[in-house]
Formats: sequence, structure tokens, C-alpha cells
Amino acid sequence: MNPDQLQIAEIWVYLSGSPLFALIITLTAYQAGILFYEKANKNPLANPVAIAVVLVAIALYLVGMPYQRYFEGAQFVHFLLGTATVALAVPIYRSFAILKTRLIPLTIALLCGGAVSIASAVGISTFLGADTAIIGAFYPKSVTAPIAMGIAERVGVSPTLTAVFAIVTGILGAILGSSILNLLGMRAWWQRGFAMGVAAHGIGTSRAFAVHPEAGVYASLAMGMHGILGAILIPLLVSYIR
Amino acid sequence: MISGLVQILLWQGLGELISYFLIPILPGPVLGLIFLLMFLIIKGQVNPSLATVSDAFSQHLGVLFIPAAVGVILFLPQLKAHAFAVIIALIMSVVLTIVTTAVILRLIARKNSNES
Repeated sequence: MNPDQLQIAEIWVYLSGSPLFALIITLTAYQAGILFYEKANKNPLANPVAIAVVLVAIALYLVGMPYQRYFEGAQFVHFLLGTATVALAVPIYRSFAILKTRLIPLTIALLCGGAVSIASAVGISTFLGADTAIIGAFYPKSVTAPIAMGIAERVGVSPTLTAVFAIVTGILGAILGSSILNLLGMRAWWQRGFAMGVAAHGIGTSRAFAVHPEAGVYASLAMGMHGILGAILIPLLVSYIR
Repeated sequence: MISGLVQILLWQGLGELISYFLIPILPGPVLGLIFLLMFLIIKGQVNPSLATVSDAFSQHLGVLFIPAAVGVILFLPQLKAHAFAVIIALIMSVVLTIVTTAVILRLIARKNSNES
């Protein structure tokens, strides 16, 4: 080995031992995801988080870094998830201003939609023979990812699977939502938006905002209500079923 | 900016304490969210510093779940083995959720407009 190669190897050993490497690949991958998403005209399929996850996974594979080592460094980003969850109170508070006018219909629709979301995902995956770790992660998947991961930790299912299912659910809802609502002949923007927010949380909400502002406002209200009610009711439901 | 972050961290701290000692089934950050929301409803407004911090967080919320979501590489064999069940469950569930929510909203709205 010549001296140059030795030096690079030493720098590499030094860098990969500190949180810096994990932070750099996490944020760079996210930045790349955002750029790609904007290039793709904010197409839900080009979800920046999904792209970033794939890029980080490839980077870890290429440098041969085990996931546990990466997470030790990236836990600083992960820690802020709790703080960001608390901060969600502000957008939820803002969207609550419109809640008063239609409190009862919206609450009934949310409870039914949330129940169907859980019953269908858990029912279908159980019927098709998925294992318990996967089935458990289906309970909170229609709730916005930061809250869903908090719920997952408390009920003892994998926050990782929950986050991945939540992101995929959001992407699917954003892609399929408009066609389903058109097939049903739904015309009122507030009803269309609210359905998107209940089923597909943040990703569905940004899609709803792209379609119509009134739909977006009701989608973000639905996401907030689903987050709060889900965090209270899903742990109770899971402990009742077990 | 700093004052907004301090407020959020204090509500999170309170949430963690209540979660640890009183309501272990609810995650601390969710309790913090509920407390802050109740505080905002009572106060009737959001102070600018809190608004700045929370807008920054909500704008780039996605980056915060990357570290945990990358863990999916550990679950790949399991997901591959149950790929069909997972894909069908995810698609059917999102379709049924949208249909249920939309149809119920329309039924209630129609009933209300017929009565009035």
C-alpha cells in the first residue's frame, strides 16, 4: 500500500467513527431527495424522504457500515422528532379555526375512516399470513409519521416499519386519491380534502394543497385530528386486543 | 427563535414527565403536543417566535424520520417474504379509508341540507 492510500484510509477511519458522517449522508440524501422532488414537479412518487432513505441505504451498503453504527451518529436527527411532534401543535391550532363549523360530521367521518384504515390493513395482512411484527406496524400507519412512530414505540411495535408503512401509505393516497374521489363523484373540496388527510396524512395533505387550497386546509385539519385521536385511541385499542 | 425552541422543549419535558409518571401509554411528545395545543387555544394566539420554530420544523419534518426509516434494510428479508400481503394491505387500506371518509361526509352533509 502506498502512503497516499494509507492516509485516505486513516481519514476514513476517523470520519466514520464520528457522528459527522451519519449526519452528512442523512442531510445530503435529503437535499438530493428535495432537488429530485422539485425537478419532478412535486410528483408524489418522487417523495423526498423515500428517495433519501434509498440513497442512505445504498451509501451504507457501499461503505460497508452497519445500520447500528449509522444510527449512533444519526440519532441526533432522530432525537428532534419528539421536539418536532410538539411543534405540530401550532399548525394543528391554526387548522382548528375551521373545525367549529363542522365539528360533528368531521369527527364522525374521521373516527369511521380511522377505524376502517386499521381494520382493513390489519385484517387483510392477517388474512394473507403476514407475521406479527408487520401486522403490529399497520395499526398507526395512517397517522402522521412522527406521531405514528411515537405510538409504535409505546405499543411495542417497530417504529421503523411504522415509518415506512406511513410513508408508503401517504404516497399511495396522494397518487390514488384524486381518481378515487372522482370515481365516487365527490364534488365538495372540503370533503375531498378531509378524506385525503384522514387516509394519507402529510403527503396526502401536500397533494391536496396542490389541487385546491380549501381541500388542503381540510386535509391538514384531518391530519391533525387523526394524529391526536390516533395517539390516544390506538394504544388503547392495541392493549385491548392483546 | 430561541425563545420558541425553549417553549417547545419545556412542553416536551412536561409531556415526558407526565408520560413517565402518570400516563405511560401516551408518548411524551404527543402529551407535549396536546398541552401546547390546549395552551394555544386558551391564549388564542401563537407568539411569533414559536411560529418561526414550528414552521421550520413542519417544513422539513421529513428529514427527521430518515434515520429510523433507513432501518428498513434490517427488515428486508421479512418484507420480501410477506411482500404480497404488505402491498395488498397498504393499497386496499388507503383506498377503503378514502372511500369511507368521503362517503360518510357526503351522507351527513346531504342529510343536513335536506333537514334545513
